[in-house]
Amino acid sequence: MRSTKQLARIFGEETASRVSNARLLVVGAGGIGCELLKNLSMSGFQHIHAIDLDTIDLSNLNRQFLFQRKHIKRPKAEVAIKAIKDFNPGIDATAGQANIKEPDYDVDWFSGFDLVLNALDNLDARRHVNTMCLAAHVPLIESGTAGYLGQVTVISGGKTECFECQPKAAERKTYPVCTIRSTPSAPIHCIVWAKDYLFAQLFGERADEADDDQGMDAEEKAENMEELKQLREESRDLSRLAEAMGSAGFPKAVFEKVFSEDIARLLSMKDMWKQRRPPTKLDFAALLERVSAEFDPAHPDDQSVLSVEDSCALFVHTANKLAHRVLEQQKQGSQGFLSFDKDDEDALNFVAATANLRSQAFGIEQKSIFAIKAMAGNIIPAIATTNAIVAGMMVMQAIMVLSQRMAECHTAYVSYNSKRARSIIKEPLATPNPRCPICRRRYLTLRVPDCSKTTLGDVISHVASLNGTERDLQLGDDIAVVEGSRILYDPDFEDNLGESLKSLGIIPGRMVTLTNEDDDEGLVVPVVLNIAKHQGNANGTQVQLAIEGFEKIPKFAPLPDDHQDNGADAEDGSEDGAGVVANDQLAVDNKGAIIIDDDTDAHASNMGYISDELSKRQLDDATTDDQGPSKRRALETDNTAAKADNDDIVVLD
Amino acid sequence: MGGISKEEVALYDRQIRLWGMEAQSRLRTASLCFIGVKALTLEACKNLVLAGVGHITLCDGGSVKEEDLEVQYYFQPEDLGQAKDKVLAERLKMLNPLVDIQANSKLSDKDANLDKFDVVVAVGGRQCSPVQLNGLCRTAKATRFVAADSFGAFGYIFADCLDEHEYMEEVKSVGGGEASNSESKHQKLAAAYKPLSQSILAKPEAINTQRLLRKYPPLVFICQ
Repeated sequence: MRSTKQLARIFGEETASRVSNARLLVVGAGGIGCELLKNLSMSGFQHIHAIDLDTIDLSNLNRQFLFQRKHIKRPKAEVAIKAIKDFNPGIDATAGQANIKEPDYDVDWFSGFDLVLNALDNLDARRHVNTMCLAAHVPLIESGTAGYLGQVTVISGGKTECFECQPKAAERKTYPVCTIRSTPSAPIHCIVWAKDYLFAQLFGERADEADDDQGMDAEEKAENMEELKQLREESRDLSRLAEAMGSAGFPKAVFEKVFSEDIARLLSMKDMWKQRRPPTKLDFAALLERVSAEFDPAHPDDQSVLSVEDSCALFVHTANKLAHRVLEQQKQGSQGFLSFDKDDEDALNFVAATANLRSQAFGIEQKSIFAIKAMAGNIIPAIATTNAIVAGMMVMQAIMVLSQRMAECHTAYVSYNSKRARSIIKEPLATPNPRCPICRRRYLTLRVPDCSKTTLGDVISHVASLNGTERDLQLGDDIAVVEGSRILYDPDFEDNLGESLKSLGIIPGRMVTLTNEDDDEGLVVPVVLNIAKHQGNANGTQVQLAIEGFEKIPKFAPLPDDHQDNGADAEDGSEDGAGVVANDQLAVDNKGAIIIDDDTDAHASNMGYISDELSKRQLDDATTDDQGPSKRRALETDNTAAKADNDDIVVLD
Repeated sequence: MGGISKEEVALYDRQIRLWGMEAQSRLRTASLCFIGVKALTLEACKNLVLAGVGHITLCDGGSVKEEDLEVQYYFQPEDLGQAKDKVLAERLKMLNPLVDIQANSKLSDKDANLDKFDVVVAVGGRQCSPVQLNGLCRTAKATRFVAADSFGAFGYIFADCLDEHEYMEEVKSVGGGEASNSESKHQKLAAAYKPLSQSILAKPEAINTQRLLRKYPPLVFICQ
């Protein structure tokens, strides 16, 4: 076991002790995860559980340094935990190769941790963990990186913004169907066409035709009715061609269909080309005649842009290979669908070849396979250092959270701009959005002995029985019960009262939301009941419904007087550091939106000597505003210092 | 492509997509020297090795001590008493066998020839004063110098990229449209750096002390 003397010297014995006793959950063991796990294991943390569903790939090794070549294809969490146990034998570190959304990881499981740290790479999982941490009342440290950019923040239910308080930009960009199918103007349109239309129609599970007009409103649909009809015809023709797979003429038939026939049809829509450059048909035979002598379609050069003739040869080669694979799978009894995987060479090269052929037809710039792989596979460039910086900041924040020094937590952005000297920008943690549909909720747990015996009516009666007691849910009289998007009960809809919870699909792990039916202004804070198994009574008596968790409910700020929506257009700050979140309309007397725990004391003697010096200096600098107790004063002081000194990296000339 | 093999492209794929093939080529031939083996050295070298630099020489002369074990994860109890630079070099090699990593305890001598290094990094001041090392680098003419150290929750970095440091700055093109090419224009600029000796001598009277003290914790000045 590694000594933690220096940790205690820097942060004090009390903090060091909290750190070593804390039970941590690390979600993700990839780029940020490896750096984070290394930091945690060397910073005195003794109890760590890491979860990641992924396995190790060669392209991970430029930054996920706990892994080596010999570990390729093994589960990330497992190898990462083994590595940190080699660094620091004796720590209680465990791994799970699983999806964090699995039902085993319920609210009870989350509440077994003192702190959760996200090292994820997708919005969906982040939203899920955010909700679970709110429900389990566990603080969360959220992070993200992309290229040179990174971000860290702290989410503590009721005290700070949660992950969903501000809308986030959609992860995947979508394009209108006409742009993809009829009027492309950029390489990405051709790539999306090749991957999501051509590849999918021929080798993948047939797309549902109903999706064709996605993204269009009623008016657009009406205008494009004729065009959409034509497009559907084309899709059907293509599907029929797929049946010719395996025959020698298969590639030619596909080529003539999409690069000649369909283009001829497009050309006949004269209006479409009034303002646009019209496409030209491609000639299969002519192209194949002039393929480069040294071109080997089995090993194309992925760095250079292929000639259109070579692309045609590549198309033929990959079309045949993919057809062969589908037929082989069908022989073995499966339906034979292939799904696009950027690391599947045949699929990638097919998409690259056909995307470039389409670009040729439409006069669009062509791209190398290397470039196409990034666009088709949504690759995010990544390096070790950004992850290292972010992971370092995460651990500092973790120590602050665990030692109840939330005033010293911030949102921090790692930005990159050669003009600026500052590369880390920090801003105060924002207060929750008073309209947030996720965190402005009283999260409680409802223990149910048997979901197949308890009815919805039982639950509602139980809730009503708490009215007027100290465990009043503060919902008022007329409540409505909702699960997801289904209304289970409201005063006008009582049909389900006699149904068992189980028959309504309400089983352990589900959450139901209780609101006040008449609350138009959103003054009542909804209650979210997490359904959980009853632990059972020790003396074996009949167990009843029980609602728990009242002591953990945070205080909710009153709604602002103007009752207007806030924060509708804040951007995800990880882009370039410019998306600063401004929530100063929210809480009435909140100057800089730093939230502290009720028992935080800026002069706590358990801090190391350096910190005392710092606090003292900041207090000396403080503007004289003598209202309220010293606690409040310290808060404002922190704000002043934070505002004047946004930067952790300073430049000395 | 500058001789980057297919295997290297596969390994460095994600970073090549960020900084480009040219930058990766330059990294590949870069030669670095770290004088002073501390936790900071370990972290910086780990990142550089992962990035695929050409060569790193570590120089310390000291041996692994108890306090090193607390923060340097590549040192184990059985390494106590061994030459720090040698042990770290061994461990870093496992991280990326493509990088040439050596230990050479003699490099901090005042007669050392630092010519062959592109950058010399002085971590802490135990072996040799950073000011002196900076001077040696300037003598070598094309060797850039970095000084850095960390203490608890504080740290500093100083860089001297010599008198004519050329660099590229991105110029964002206006009205490119979402679908246009991802390359933006770059312009070549030059900057002149000062050595540490001059930086330290900067007269306090010339600076607004109040403003400075508000911005930087006093510890920064103690570091000097």
